[in-house]
Parts: sequence; structure tokens; C-alpha cells
Amino acid sequence: MVATYAPLLLMFALAGLVVMGFFVAGHFLGPKNPSPAKLMPFESGNESPGARKIRMSVKFYLTAILFVVFDIEAVFLYVWAVRFRALGWVGMVSMVGFLAVLVVGLVYALRKGALEWEK
Amino acid sequence: MSANLLLGLSPILIVSLGALLLMMAEALSKLRNEARESPSSSLAMGSAVVLASGGVASLALWLQGPDNLMEARAALAPWLLIDRFSLFFFVILTLGAFLTVLLAGGYLPEHKLDRGEFYPLVLLSTAGAMALAAAGDLLTMFIGLEVMSLGVYAMVAFRRGSPRSVEAAMKYFLLGSFAAALLLYGGALLYGATGKTDFSSISFQLAHTGYANPTNLQQLAWENSTPLMVIGLILVVIGLAFKISAVPFHMWTPDAYEGAPTPATTFMAGAVKAGAFAMMIRVLMMAFGDVRSASWGSGWPPVLAALAVATMTVGNLIAGRQESVKRMLAYSSITHAGYMLVGVVAMAGTARAEANGAVLFYTLIYTISTVGAFGALILCGSRGAEAVSYEDLAGLGKRNPAVALALSLFIFSLAGIPPTAGFFAKLYLFKAAVSGDYIVLTVIALINTVIGAYYYLRVLVFMYFREPLPGAPIAKPMKSGHVAIALVFAALLVLALGILPSKTLQAALSSTISG
Repeated sequence: MVATYAPLLLMFALAGLVVMGFFVAGHFLGPKNPSPAKLMPFESGNESPGARKIRMSVKFYLTAILFVVFDIEAVFLYVWAVRFRALGWVGMVSMVGFLAVLVVGLVYALRKGALEWEK
Repeated sequence: MSANLLLGLSPILIVSLGALLLMMAEALSKLRNEARESPSSSLAMGSAVVLASGGVASLALWLQGPDNLMEARAALAPWLLIDRFSLFFFVILTLGAFLTVLLAGGYLPEHKLDRGEFYPLVLLSTAGAMALAAAGDLLTMFIGLEVMSLGVYAMVAFRRGSPRSVEAAMKYFLLGSFAAALLLYGGALLYGATGKTDFSSISFQLAHTGYANPTNLQQLAWENSTPLMVIGLILVVIGLAFKISAVPFHMWTPDAYEGAPTPATTFMAGAVKAGAFAMMIRVLMMAFGDVRSASWGSGWPPVLAALAVATMTVGNLIAGRQESVKRMLAYSSITHAGYMLVGVVAMAGTARAEANGAVLFYTLIYTISTVGAFGALILCGSRGAEAVSYEDLAGLGKRNPAVALALSLFIFSLAGIPPTAGFFAKLYLFKAAVSGDYIVLTVIALINTVIGAYYYLRVLVFMYFREPLPGAPIAKPMKSGHVAIALVFAALLVLALGILPSKTLQAALSSTISG
């Protein structure tokens, strides 16, 4: 087992060494002329807008969760579509059941107002 | 083929389809005027009916017997194993959830938490716990565990305006996902070591790799994969120990139990624990039940025995120091997990069948008693004044004798005092441990039972022999038909099983794992 995974370990160690090496080299070799502008956090050239602790509306999370659910649905649908004939009726029935459960979820989300952005 | 499939799956199907139907009913009902009409009143009854039919279906399948279930079993194996063991746990789980939804039907409207999603969450969580109890494969085990846990995380955070509740949910969620990750990693290692994910194949690999007839190559393969197996087993056991809140994986329990709305606490202490126990027993007995892994000298029993001793003792010692009854009951549930672990250890010994029956019987009684105790505590408080501390219970014996009597009954059962069912549960459990020659373990468990009597009886002392302090806010008992039904039902069960335990014990004894 050790013999099998040794190259992998070696690669990790090498990767770590290279990264550390760059940082150490930069620290010792690079010229340093600090100025207040340089010490500011870099945000794509814009001035930083303030603290990072801002409250996000829960709606964003709700949308994200719904997106993930139906994204996963698509993932399963692709697999099923590729093997449609081989899976036959068993696959058909299972998929319809799966979709039915998701439709229930969608209807629930709709009725509970999860998809209304403004009330 | 498909009829057998449906037959075997029917308990889980009833519960999960019922959950979907109730979700739809709640979302589509146009009559709802939340100010006037409470969603709980109809949903609690609806989900109670669903869970009761799930329980009846499991009972019917159980009565059919293992022989008549062969075809239904074969259709689902090895992903879900519908044997008498899982059916017995189905009954425990549906019973625990049944009582929970009834308690919620009284609790949620009283405390202005009246939102309908609680009930589908309980039902879906129960379906997950049932899948967990029946899982015969690492994959279904993980899916069952996650389905069960996700619902419970949401239930803990149900009082979303209260920082306490949210903190409890966050703690439970983070530690729970960490435990799930450990379990998953353990499963991955087991798969890496054996190339199989189902328990019986893993066991076969364990028993046969370089063991029965070792060639050099097989021996080499065995020696190489042993560390993987051991680490995998340890990780899986830790993952499940989190859910049954065994010491030292119990840190989240008191906070989560206290912060959660009491019906959610009830569900966690009852059904969730039972489901995780079923899984733990099945993993240990099916996948690691071979001579080498299940022997005291070279396997998991000493580790589990140490967990059991730590769980009983630490749970007890801290429970005695609590000032809040809800927190005391949380620690008491930790202690009971310790007693049950004693039974699991005994299953590795010579008296395996006896220990199996004793653990199942204990789990059933514990679930009813702990749900009853939390339910009686729910009944002791009303809006804005939940009964949490011992002081809140002072003088309850005079103010409301019926509630005090119910609470005393369940406390008696938890303490193991006859004629309640808790006495026989403990008796059979310790008897099984003794016949398996685990004398020291049994003595420690007995000592702990005696220590436990102290804090259980303290509740009675406060209810019957103390008067409330003058000027102190008094928790007024609430009135609720739902809670009353649940408590009467649980009390009848506790008494009936305490007076006539033999039939149920026989049933538990014949509920063995059939691999």
C-alpha cells in the first residue's frame, strides 16, 4: 500500500515545497517600498466598500437552494436519458416517481411564496 | 416481483407518501386563515393517522413472519433488509413519531409556533430513520442517516426568532455534519479494503481474506487491508455514536435538546436515537460479527464497553447537577444510551439472542418513557411560561394532580422502578449482560441505576413535597387534547408492558437480524 501511494505523497510534498519556496524567495528577494495606497486591500482596483459583515437577504439562499434541487434533477435526467432504452419501464416508473416528488416540492415552494421576490 | 417490493417497502412508503400528501394539503388549502384556524389541529391528527398506519403495516409484516417475507426481502436486499429486526424498529420509530406529532399538536399552537411544516418534517425524518434501521448497505445507511438528520436540524431551529434555538440548531448541524462526514469516510475506507458496500459481503471478506485457507498472496492482502478495516470501523462507530450521543461524542446533546422546541427534543431522544441504535447493532453484528472482530481480545467489544461505561457514568454525574428538568432529561437520555450500549456489548458474547431481545425491548420502553416524560413536561407549562426548572414543578402535585401523576409514572419508568415497564427493561438487559459473563459491566450499570434514582426522585420531591417560593412565577399547566391523548396512550403502554411484559419480550427475542 505504501508503495502504491508513495508517488502521490511525494507529489504533495513537492507541491508544498514549491509554493513555500516561492513565498520565501519573494519575501527575501523582492524590493519593499510600502505606501498607504499599497497597503489597502485590493478589490479589483475599486475602493473597498466597508466591513465584510453585511447581512444578505434570506431570499438569495432560498433561490440558491431551489436551484440546487432542480440542478440535481437535471443531473439525474441526463443519466436516465442516456440509458433510456436499457432501463425500460423500471427506469420510467422510478423517474416519474422522482419527478412527482420534485413537483410536490415545487408546488409547495410556490404556494409558500418562496419564488416571490417582493411581497 | 413488484408486488413484493411494495409489500416490503410499505411501512416506509406509507410514511413518506403521507408526508408528501400532508405537505400538499397544507400548501393548497385555501381556507387557511392563520389568525383564526391553526394548521396544527388538522395536521397533527393527519400525521398521527399516517404514522399509526405505518406502524400497523410494520406490525402486520412482523406477524407475517420471516418465512412469508422471503420474497419481499429478496426484492429489496441488500439495500434494505426487511427482517423482523427492522420491523420491530419500524414499530418503535412510528410509535415514537406518533407520540411526537400528538405532542406537537398541543405544543406548537400554545407557544405560537404554529407552522405546518413541522409535521412533514417529522414524517420525512421518520421515513429516513426507518431506512436507516433497515439499511443493509453503506450507501442506504448514509442516505437514511442524512434524510433523518436534515429534518431534525430544521426542527431544532423551529423557534427561529430565538437565538437559543438557532444556536442549538447550528451546533447540532455542524457536529452532525462532521459526524456524517466521518461516517462517510469510514464507509469509503471499508469499501477500499473490501471492494464491497453491503454488510454481508464485507463480513464475508473479513472472514475469508487470508483466514480460512491463507495463501501468501491472500495473507498479504489481509495484512494490508486490516488497518483500513479497523479505521473504517472506528469512523463508522464514531459517526453513529454522535447520533446516539454516547460520551465523549455527547457535547451537543444538552444544548440541542434544551434549545429545541420540546416536541423536537422528544423526537431526537426517541426516534432518532432508536434509528441510530438499530444501525449500530446491524453494522456491528452483520459486517463485523465474525469471530475475530466480535471477540473481546481482538475486536470492538472492549471499545464499546469503554464507551458504555463512560456514557453511563458521565451522563449520570452531570444529570444530577442540573437545575433544569429538560436538561436533566437530556443527560438522562445520554445515560440510557449507555445502558443500551451495555446490551450491544453483550450481543458479542455467548448470550447473543438474549441480549438482542433485551436491547430491542429496552429501546422500545425507553422510547415510550422518555417521550412520555418530555410530554408531561410540555403539559406542565403554558404560553410564555414553559416548565423547565425544578422550581417550576414545585407544588404541582397539589395544583394539578393528573399531570404530576403522569410525570411521576414516566420518571419511575426511566428510573426503572416497578411496576412500570422500565423495571423489566433494565432487568432483562442486565440479565442478558450477566448471562454473557459481562459481570463488571453489569455491576457498573447497576451502580449507575442507583445514582440515577437520585435525580429522578428529585423531580417527585419537588412536585409533591415542595411549595412554590412566594412570589415566584408559576408555570401553569396547559390544556390540550392532543397532549392528553398522547400521554394517556404512553402511560397505558408503560403500565401494560410493566405488568405483562412477556409477550412483547418474546416478540423482541424473535426479532433477530437475518443476514
